[in-house]
Amino acid sequence: MKLNKLNIAVVLIAGFLTTTSCSNFLDVESREIIEAGDSEDVITPEEYVNGVYGMFTDWNYAFAYLGITEILSDNADKGSSPTDSGTDKDVLDNLTYTNTTPSFESLWSHWYKSIGRATEAITYTENYGLTDEGYKNRLIGEAKFLRALNYFFLVRGWGDVTIQELDLIERKPAAEVYDYIEKDLTDAIAVLPLKSGYASADLGRATKGAAQGLLAKVYLYQKKWQQAYDMAQEVINSGQYGLESDYAVLWRVTSENGTESLFEFQGRGVAIAHGIQQYSETQGARGTSGWGWGFNTPSQNLLDAYNAEGDAIRRDATIIFRGEVMYDGRVVDVGVENPMYNEKAYSSANAGAADGDKNIRYLRLGEIYLISAEAANELGNSSGALADLNRVRNRVSLAAVTTTDQTQLRTLIYKERRLELGFEHDRWFDLIRTGQAEAAMTAAGKPFQSKHNLFPVPNAQINQTPEMTQNPGW
Amino acid sequence: MRNLFTLLLFMVCTIPFAYSQTGSVSGTVKDGNSQMVLPGVTVTVQGKSISTQTDASGKYTINATGTDVLLFNFIGFSDKSVSVNNLTTIDVFLDEEDQSIDEVVVVGYGTQRKVDLTGSIGSVKASDIAKQPATSAMQSIQGKVSGLNIVANEQPGSSPTVLIRGMGSALGGRNPFYVVDGIPADNINNISPSDILSINVLKDASSASIYGIRAANGVIMVTTKKGSAGRTQISYDGSFGIKGILNRVDMADANQFITYFNENAAAIGQSWTLQPNQENNTDWYDELIQNGQVYNNSINLSGGSEVVDYYLSYNNLTEKGVLEGSKFQRHTIRNNNTYKFFDNKLKFMQTLNLTMTNATPKPLAAFDAAYKQSPLVPVMYENGRYGRPFVNQTTGLVTYESTAGQTVGNLNSIGNPVFENYRYNELLNTVSIQGSFEGEYQITNYLKFNSRFSGTKVYNKNRNFSNVKEAWLNADPRRTEAEFEALKLANPTSLTYVNNTLTTGQSESFRWAWENFLTFQKSFDKHNLELIAGTSLEKFNIGNNYSATGYDVPDQEQYWNINMASSGYNKSVNQTYITPTALQSYFARGQYNYDSRYYFTATVRYDGTSTFKASGDYYDVFPSFGAGWTISNESFAQDISWLNFLKVRANWGRLGNQAIPLNVSQVLQSTGTNGNENVNYVFGPNQDLIFGAAYATPVIPLSWEVTEETGVGVDFTLFNSHLTGSFDYYHKLNTNAILSVKPLLNSTFSQNFYDHGAKILNSGFEANLSWNKSVNENLSYTVGVNYSYNKNEVTDVKPTYDGNTGGSLANGQITKQLREGQPIYAWWMWETDGVWQTQDEINAGAKYGSPRPGHLKYKDQNGDNVIDDRDKVFLGSYIPTSIYGVNLGINYKAIDFSIDGYGVGGNKIYNGLKGTRIDGGENIAASTFENRWTGPNSSNTDPGAARDSYASSYYLESGAYFRINNVTLGYTFRNLYSNTSNLRVFFTAQNPLIFTKYSGFSPEITGTDNGNPAETSGIELSAYPTTRNFIFGVNMSF
Repeated sequence: MKLNKLNIAVVLIAGFLTTTSCSNFLDVESREIIEAGDSEDVITPEEYVNGVYGMFTDWNYAFAYLGITEILSDNADKGSSPTDSGTDKDVLDNLTYTNTTPSFESLWSHWYKSIGRATEAITYTENYGLTDEGYKNRLIGEAKFLRALNYFFLVRGWGDVTIQELDLIERKPAAEVYDYIEKDLTDAIAVLPLKSGYASADLGRATKGAAQGLLAKVYLYQKKWQQAYDMAQEVINSGQYGLESDYAVLWRVTSENGTESLFEFQGRGVAIAHGIQQYSETQGARGTSGWGWGFNTPSQNLLDAYNAEGDAIRRDATIIFRGEVMYDGRVVDVGVENPMYNEKAYSSANAGAADGDKNIRYLRLGEIYLISAEAANELGNSSGALADLNRVRNRVSLAAVTTTDQTQLRTLIYKERRLELGFEHDRWFDLIRTGQAEAAMTAAGKPFQSKHNLFPVPNAQINQTPEMTQNPGW
Repeated sequence: MRNLFTLLLFMVCTIPFAYSQTGSVSGTVKDGNSQMVLPGVTVTVQGKSISTQTDASGKYTINATGTDVLLFNFIGFSDKSVSVNNLTTIDVFLDEEDQSIDEVVVVGYGTQRKVDLTGSIGSVKASDIAKQPATSAMQSIQGKVSGLNIVANEQPGSSPTVLIRGMGSALGGRNPFYVVDGIPADNINNISPSDILSINVLKDASSASIYGIRAANGVIMVTTKKGSAGRTQISYDGSFGIKGILNRVDMADANQFITYFNENAAAIGQSWTLQPNQENNTDWYDELIQNGQVYNNSINLSGGSEVVDYYLSYNNLTEKGVLEGSKFQRHTIRNNNTYKFFDNKLKFMQTLNLTMTNATPKPLAAFDAAYKQSPLVPVMYENGRYGRPFVNQTTGLVTYESTAGQTVGNLNSIGNPVFENYRYNELLNTVSIQGSFEGEYQITNYLKFNSRFSGTKVYNKNRNFSNVKEAWLNADPRRTEAEFEALKLANPTSLTYVNNTLTTGQSESFRWAWENFLTFQKSFDKHNLELIAGTSLEKFNIGNNYSATGYDVPDQEQYWNINMASSGYNKSVNQTYITPTALQSYFARGQYNYDSRYYFTATVRYDGTSTFKASGDYYDVFPSFGAGWTISNESFAQDISWLNFLKVRANWGRLGNQAIPLNVSQVLQSTGTNGNENVNYVFGPNQDLIFGAAYATPVIPLSWEVTEETGVGVDFTLFNSHLTGSFDYYHKLNTNAILSVKPLLNSTFSQNFYDHGAKILNSGFEANLSWNKSVNENLSYTVGVNYSYNKNEVTDVKPTYDGNTGGSLANGQITKQLREGQPIYAWWMWETDGVWQTQDEINAGAKYGSPRPGHLKYKDQNGDNVIDDRDKVFLGSYIPTSIYGVNLGINYKAIDFSIDGYGVGGNKIYNGLKGTRIDGGENIAASTFENRWTGPNSSNTDPGAARDSYASSYYLESGAYFRINNVTLGYTFRNLYSNTSNLRVFFTAQNPLIFTKYSGFSPEITGTDNGNPAETSGIELSAYPTTRNFIFGVNMSF
């Protein structure tokens, strides 16, 4: 046995083997993807909050949103060419939609993803270590406002819905969802600055007034009349807002984020463009001489409503008529495909561009007055109701309402909402909320059934979570 | 095959004459199998220093007494001793070394005798690979190894997809791990099959676990040829083959198309129809497809001396595919040397393989277009433009020509397949260098040390040229160049009106490995022990890729440089470095047997990987154990005359899979104007663009997948070793399979993410049987069959992770779903329930949309009178449950003949070509035409000309087939120039016959993304058809 030789070899080999154990060998640096540890240095909490707002610029708001807020109501028709279904706008218009109709799935998902971004932004901001407590609280408040807004979209469409932060399968009763929304809004109101409290560069962010206004609307949907009234009055009396004197400018670029505006979805049309993807284009006049796809057109039913009221100002601010000359001098060719188009979607500067400068007005003082009026009337305060209602009517040169009969006044306020807020994406929910849907839709020749009171939970969601319940009739 | 003719022994004593005296003994030595004489056989007298060698004619003469014993030794043959017994003439037959006893298989970090295995290893030898020529040797071994599911892809230069014992992972890491002469590799596309000595497939956990975190999909050990001392050889192999499509589908002709089209028009109330007599009757497959050609040449030199053994080879493979212009060429140079010092105590082994390929691929979508384009469309118009599906709707003639007031429309939206093929211009070049340097030191006679460094460098270059202007002009024969120029002028930045687009790309990658291990091998009485321990360091995916795109380069190919692109358009550049992967490992294996009866094996690998750094997870242990009992070596079994060998085996092991695609961006950010991610917003009175961010996916700590496998098996050799066989059962469970999870619609995150969310079970059995017999000295034959059964099932899916869909048909329809209790991405679609016969029936029945009479009717599975997703049912998998191979070989004198067959069963495949009509103006197969519904009660199985294009079981057909994949007839001329020079000429028919009920071109469908189960695997869409190949060739050796 050549032990010496063996020993030498063993020592040599042991040397070989141990050289391979270098501890850093496995810490390979990532080249193409930024490592999690590095991204925290790069991204600020504010950017995550901005990312929640960013969801408002999605294509969903330009197409699916039109379908499930206006086209299915008596205000609007599908529009466009008869052969162009616009994915599913035909079945929405005709109330023959099903649980697989894509627009419901798109927005159900989109609103939940927006909620997800808000929650992530809140968590990130809370843990980031911001030293400026006011700034930190403001960011959290903004995110909570946005989260509440998206839950409100969901609850008024589907009723019972899951609360993402709690459970992804069990749909919570609508009342519980409303509680959750109220909590977020109450928190937001406590920390958000007034509209005038923001730096100029932050114009467009969620304000205390926006949160209060939304809360008033949330109370209204729950028939919490006193709270709705009080909250609306807080906004009205905050000194931050006033009615635009001319209704016609309300949806024009000059009034963006103006005195009447509580909250808008922001869009920019010039380079670097970042509009609400194609919102103006999908609703622009269609045809050789048009500038858009021609969807979501005013119905005859709506036109009749304006005419019956003698409401020319709001009619002409809401509807583009074939052949008319518009405020900016544009001649709407008589050859365009449809007789009427939605003027509130019209962008003068970037009419047919994918990125338009149109801001979608989500909440404005005009509506707050109507919330206040409706709540006051339900509380038996007809004089308060009349005062608020007539402020809105006065602006558009309509005669003051004088009746103090609660039922009559209720009907008049409902009608006022339709005319004042035409094409502001509220009509369907007002119809459902106030129980007018069946009568109104039947009058419009649409086969309304009780199942239409709630949207169908998208079938794709049920496929993922078979235990989740479906709404009745779907 | 001839190596399997073993244990054939007989001795002839010609002169029965007996007396004892010293004298000379003479005779002839022959190969007991081939009957050929053996020159150079050493003949010695036992116990004496007398020896001689046989001469060129195998004759010897030696001095011996009548009581002496003669010993015959020859390399490659079993030694033989013969008593002289006073004979003066002794003719001897030597047998080739008994492969079933001494056959050696390559395992990780060493070799083992096959009889000593406790695991399950499939082996294929060079002769089997040579018999079935292919670009990749993995294609050659289809049907040769049980448990191996190989799906051919016959596009020139491509390689088949390989699954060992079923699909065990739902994501990217489905491929086996390859080890080429100890060099880790992702594939063996760079290896010339003629350089391969053997392929060993480590199928079970106890043999594969030495490769730890990369072993879960099995390991394929490839050993290339080496030289050996004393056997100098020059050989040349050459072949030429012609390829055609094996199973061509007969398409409807012009008149059938017109009838079908007009029936559809009538059904949907279309205002115009096609005229009965039209100018063209184009058979698009005739126009598109040519006969392919394959040339294959290789030259090998090998030999050796006391100091160095060498092997040097050159191989050239050229293949022209069945699509005009498609070509693949590969040059391979290999040099394997072994340098021996100090009486073989110190050796240096070197391998070096250089491979250069260049290819001009053609678009597979042309096959689809040829299926769908109408026979009424001409290949080319008289004005020299390519035909398009224009139809004059006023006259009903398929032409673009019209007079005032007439309407010209389109029959369909399908392109011209000949033009699509012609205009596609891609060039791919690859250079790959793979080599290793290994030192081996025999420290003592029982202890050995090896150190091996290996590296593989791959360079890829590609170039794509698209003549946009030509495509624009050919989209409509009425267009003029002047129109194009005017549009170009009016839209100076629009990429629609560029003359051409040029994209060039380059990538390179490098991997290296350094492995050191000690081998201890010693026997103590009847205790035999082998221990191996070592370390390994490895780094791969070291590289980067780069591509650039420019517009309006000169038309001449010689000037296709990005620098010569127009400055009027923005050029774009993409470049990124890739994150490499590092592995640091320790491994050990102990093998013990007592008296070759009781076997125990224990293996462990401690693997560290950098892949899951983000989770902070680096190391894991992968152990395995095996045991075997060779019953035939027990004393009680010695008397069983028909039993030559019997062994039972059992093993258990834990294997890993780290090949997980992790390139998911967790945070969404967009700094450009691109608003796709919707993270940016505008604020302020001027609405300034403000950047935002959002989490796209949750932070989920991922680690490798862990597979646990248990197996039992039996090996046997019976009836004088004529019958050999084995049987294996396995149960292989991926305990934490990673899924690509689509977030719940109502959850936080928007992008698909990866998480451990299921178990994937593959269980099955494998059986091999072969029978070899030499009937007489001229005739011998062998028959072999192998069969594998595998059941694949996804189990224990995490709640809400279920239900990912896949198998998109690219027309909005999906066909697969990942669901607990089903095979991976099982077929999921509506079940057809006949054909709607009348409108009344439709009005009364459950339906989807607004069907017409003649449409397929779908089964209302849940009875709710509505057809929706809830009525879709699971209909099995595209992955076969049964795979079998049949091999038959006959040798008669100098003639060799063999037939091999391969088949699969138990699966379904989707005829996407037949199913995905969109416009109603696409062509159909002749059988679709003949079987169609034409009115009430004409058919209740096949739809009419008016039909929907929803995915349904109508298009899902049995994937079972049996294919004769090789028939070879060879003739060998021996001793042409010298004793060792042979010339064999052969004729091979590859895939001459297929037996299948499938109505498309090929039941073997790899699909996109290298067999990704969530994509088009098992769906015939843009798939390369199976080809039939007739090859003539020669094998020469000197």
